[in-house]
Amino acid sequence: MKKLISMLAATMIALPAAAAGDQFHLYNWNNYIAPETIKRFEASCKCEVVQTYYSDNEELLAKLAAGAKGYDLLVPTSNAVQALIKGAQLKPLDKSQLPNLKNINPIYLNTPFDPGNKYSVPYAMSTTIIGYNDVKMKELGLPTDTWAVIFEPKLLEKIKGRVTVLDSSSELFAAAFKYLGYSANDVDPKHWDEAAALIKKAKPYWAAFNASSYIKELTVGNIWLVHGYSNDIFQANLDAQAAKRPFHILQGMPKEGAVLAVDNMVIHKSAPRPDLALKFINFMLDGKNSSELTNLIGSGNPNLDAVKYIKPEILKNPAIFPDKAVEDKLEQLNDLTSAQRRLRNRLWTEIKAGR
Amino acid sequence: MIKTALSMQARSRLGRWLVSGPPVLYLLIFFAAPALIMVLASFRTPGDFGGLAPLLENGKLDLNLESYARFFTESVYAQIFVKSVWYALLTTLFCLLLAYPLAALIARSGKKHRDLLLLLVILPFWSNFLIRIYAWMIILGPNAALARTVNGVLGWFGHEPVPLLFSSFAVLVCLVYVHLPFMVLPLYANLEKHDRALLDAAQDLGAGAWQRFWRITFPLSLPGVYAGAALVFIPALGIFAIPDILGGPEDSLIGNVIKQQFLETRDWPFGSVLSIVLTIAALVLAGTAAWVGRRSLGTPSSAEPARA
Repeated sequence: MKKLISMLAATMIALPAAAAGDQFHLYNWNNYIAPETIKRFEASCKCEVVQTYYSDNEELLAKLAAGAKGYDLLVPTSNAVQALIKGAQLKPLDKSQLPNLKNINPIYLNTPFDPGNKYSVPYAMSTTIIGYNDVKMKELGLPTDTWAVIFEPKLLEKIKGRVTVLDSSSELFAAAFKYLGYSANDVDPKHWDEAAALIKKAKPYWAAFNASSYIKELTVGNIWLVHGYSNDIFQANLDAQAAKRPFHILQGMPKEGAVLAVDNMVIHKSAPRPDLALKFINFMLDGKNSSELTNLIGSGNPNLDAVKYIKPEILKNPAIFPDKAVEDKLEQLNDLTSAQRRLRNRLWTEIKAGR
Repeated sequence: MIKTALSMQARSRLGRWLVSGPPVLYLLIFFAAPALIMVLASFRTPGDFGGLAPLLENGKLDLNLESYARFFTESVYAQIFVKSVWYALLTTLFCLLLAYPLAALIARSGKKHRDLLLLLVILPFWSNFLIRIYAWMIILGPNAALARTVNGVLGWFGHEPVPLLFSSFAVLVCLVYVHLPFMVLPLYANLEKHDRALLDAAQDLGAGAWQRFWRITFPLSLPGVYAGAALVFIPALGIFAIPDILGGPEDSLIGNVIKQQFLETRDWPFGSVLSIVLTIAALVLAGTAAWVGRRSLGTPSSAEPARA
């Protein structure tokens, strides 16, 4: 029946004057907008929201580079926005249509990758931090506020085979750089070798490079410590509590600093409905609408007007709303050049191939 | 008379084209063309934001051998290649060892049971491949019965507990599990056709059970073995989902490295080079195996009359 309706809808948009069949194509991260928010937007725009998902910025870039079309709005992370701007893939935003832009905290506007926010507007944020099983880590007396616990064999000995790190060279190198006291965006090849050596030393203690199932492994208690995304760790705890596990999955912000990922709303140059995309951006810049995502998945929120709608326990969480001292140590990742990516891939392949 | 014969010939030729045309066209469009695009891509330069750099740079054609040079100078990629071939060979061998008795059993059972057994072999295809791999995560997990039993036994012998999940063991088990039906089906199709009279005759002439198998059944089944081995070896060589989900930190295979070139590294030319080398390696290995097999065990054509 649903299929029939969508087929009917598809034939209806083929007819030029059928306003009732308007569709807005959102290419988004999975579970990255609250269902009630979508419903309200559909009511306000009198259109149907069609969502497709990507699990990785690179997946989105690869798909667009291969010529995929038909998406109105994308929500890539800053470094991917940088690549999309360089590749002239985006449509400039008409700010006169975005009165709610005033709600965004100015420190997240006018960034080096998109001066003057010509193309992008921040949507939500996450950090790449430590997630841990509170009972186990306490039992073993291990620290949870430093990258040392991910990289130092002395500490890892106690949790050998119970640790996973992200299967992402950029994230893992950034964490290693931070631990070594460099910038997450360091491009000195000597420092890259140093980071690779640090990773190779720690690798025998890790259970896996994992970016997909570590949430579940944390929830069931197989894995006790992860290098992972703050939203995922938040989700793992919700799941663990729902399953009445005798432990919590907590977020640990490393004192050395971490990667901050700001996801941004951008309009692709091939967007069939840029008008709906602008409406959507303004709608999501509204404090209430923006807060619903934070309440659902524990994402960071750049919207000052959203704060009053956010659940107090999330507002109190320092990994989601860090204080000034921590905030200063967070860094957004830059996009690498193609030569740098080749070198990074060789190091990464060597790390993975080595015993 | 001649005229009608000719027109009949022409008509049958037309018929042949009508029948074979669509599949040939399909292969040209969806196999040959993409393969050629890949070959061309392997000589190009990666674009900065993904994809490929423009083919014409200042009026000059931008084609180079850089990606090939890279494959042959940075040894880590060849190393992973060899490892992947090894995993695929092991998978093929284990599949053969497990599938042969099973296929023989099905081929020899009565008609009624045979259909049921075949149904059971293809039953796993009814659920999604990824879901079945995720199910193995639960089976192999450290708190599951299997890991507890294994580690309990190991503990008796004073051995350290071993993780089953996120290990080469998990990758191999799942590779064998996923590919097993592809070995069983061609073997069954072959074994089912064997004439029992041959075995009876051999027995009358004094051949023991082992001799009957090794000198009659096995040589006759070789076409099935080759077909099954090719169906298992080639996909096992390029797989990336299983090591991604079940593998430990060392279990990156060539499929994973190729995937990385198209995603994280945004290096399509190098990914194309790796894919081309993979295709050539699979063809060469399969060809060599078939050739060696035929030489050492007699050509299937010499065994053919026996079947009839």
